[in-house]
Amino acid sequence: MNEPSIERVLFTEEQIAERIREVGGAISARYAGRELKLIGVLKGSVFFLTALARELTIPTKIDFLAISSFAHQRGAPGMVRIAKDLDDSIEGEDVMLVEDIVDTGFTTRYLLQNLAARGPNSLALCTLLDRTPRRIVQVPVDFRCFEIPDRFVVGFGLDYKQLFRNLKYIGVLNLDSA
Amino acid sequence: MAFITVSGEPAARHEELARAAAQRLQFELVTEARLEETIAAQFGAPNGIPGKAWPALALSILANLATERHLAISIIGAELLFQNLPGVLRVRVLDPESRRLGSLMVDRGLEREQAKELLGRLDGEQASIRKHRFGRAGGRIECFDLMINGESLETEQMADILEVAARSKGILEAGMLSSAAEAQLQFQARLKLARYGIVPPDRLRQERKQFGHPSEEVFANLLDFYGIAWHYEPRSFPLQWDKDGKVMEAFTPDFYLPEFDLYVELTTMKQSNVTRKNRKIRLLKTIYPHVNIQVFYQKDVQDLVIKYGLPERLAR
Repeated sequence: MNEPSIERVLFTEEQIAERIREVGGAISARYAGRELKLIGVLKGSVFFLTALARELTIPTKIDFLAISSFAHQRGAPGMVRIAKDLDDSIEGEDVMLVEDIVDTGFTTRYLLQNLAARGPNSLALCTLLDRTPRRIVQVPVDFRCFEIPDRFVVGFGLDYKQLFRNLKYIGVLNLDSA
Repeated sequence: MAFITVSGEPAARHEELARAAAQRLQFELVTEARLEETIAAQFGAPNGIPGKAWPALALSILANLATERHLAISIIGAELLFQNLPGVLRVRVLDPESRRLGSLMVDRGLEREQAKELLGRLDGEQASIRKHRFGRAGGRIECFDLMINGESLETEQMADILEVAARSKGILEAGMLSSAAEAQLQFQARLKLARYGIVPPDRLRQERKQFGHPSEEVFANLLDFYGIAWHYEPRSFPLQWDKDGKVMEAFTPDFYLPEFDLYVELTTMKQSNVTRKNRKIRLLKTIYPHVNIQVFYQKDVQDLVIKYGLPERLAR
């Protein structure tokens, strides 16, 4: 079986940087005079979160969490749970969940519910990619960099079997070659 | 026969915990929605059932189900149905208001104040249902064997506690409800229901989940993993009728997700064979424009397989 290859580049490094700059500006404007805590979901959002944080002009804190993976369950799949929790409380803070991609909305809904229960002052969602054609669970997306078509994409944090995260661009993966 | 009842206030995680327990202990999950469907199928519209008849009706259905499977039940007031029966674990989830509000804020896209208002309304509705069914609005703590404070616990951790309690109480070793015991329960239920002019069918028709394709079972597991309620093929939509009004063609979506009022159809067949199904889906959308349906085609299913690390044979 061959390894899948990049079929085409969807967004170049320059396009991504430009769009993150724009979204960073919009976020800074909305939270002007306040402090914002960005919460990234390991591992996919790391690249996007760090790029976004650098474009913010407001005081910004960062924290990360990780959730258990459906794929790694043995036997009965059990239920999703926090595999790595936040280091600090978010009670009373303005919080933004930062995702690499929102597609079915399963994971995002779980995370938003979990964070909302911790009593933040406000809770928003920012995603690098929004694949709305795949949406099952509706989640409120406050900021998105790109809406994408129904294709399997990798790069800038997004993976295929843990590979391709380090690409500087976002590409469509040709799975037929796999 | 083992029954685990899991109760809680509106927007608490009792149904989620019941689902987790069912999955983990290989029990059958019975939710409020499922019971209502069964009542509607067997006895007509649930709102036509007198409140005082409801406990006997519910017990009749649950006893029938318990002849083949142990049950995890998340139904308002279920703990009151089994007060004098052995092999029962009655659990209550105490989720703090902040968590319940959080769930409503996310699920319904509400601000905190709106969520508070809604929560108050839902609390009132639940109290009213309990009063209708059991003659009192509140749940008494002595009706529960185990109360779990969910403030700092994940659902999976609550499921750990529940499992330990179930094992400690020895209910997992119980056999199924015997035919004789079921007949005795049904007899008592029939006597009570007769007072209200309700005659149950001799044998309740049981809905069993038989998935048409392995990918559907995995998709169901995925929904369980994320604590999302689902029903498998709960409704067929007539699409064509003959001149006498007889249904000639219908479409039955694979899943219904009640929290989102959404039907989901998984299509794993080759794209060349999808044309017929696409036509049906177009017809469905034309005839039933208010029905929300999300279709996953072969490539979408393949992507889900990769994203969630499912067995790759399921994509084919």
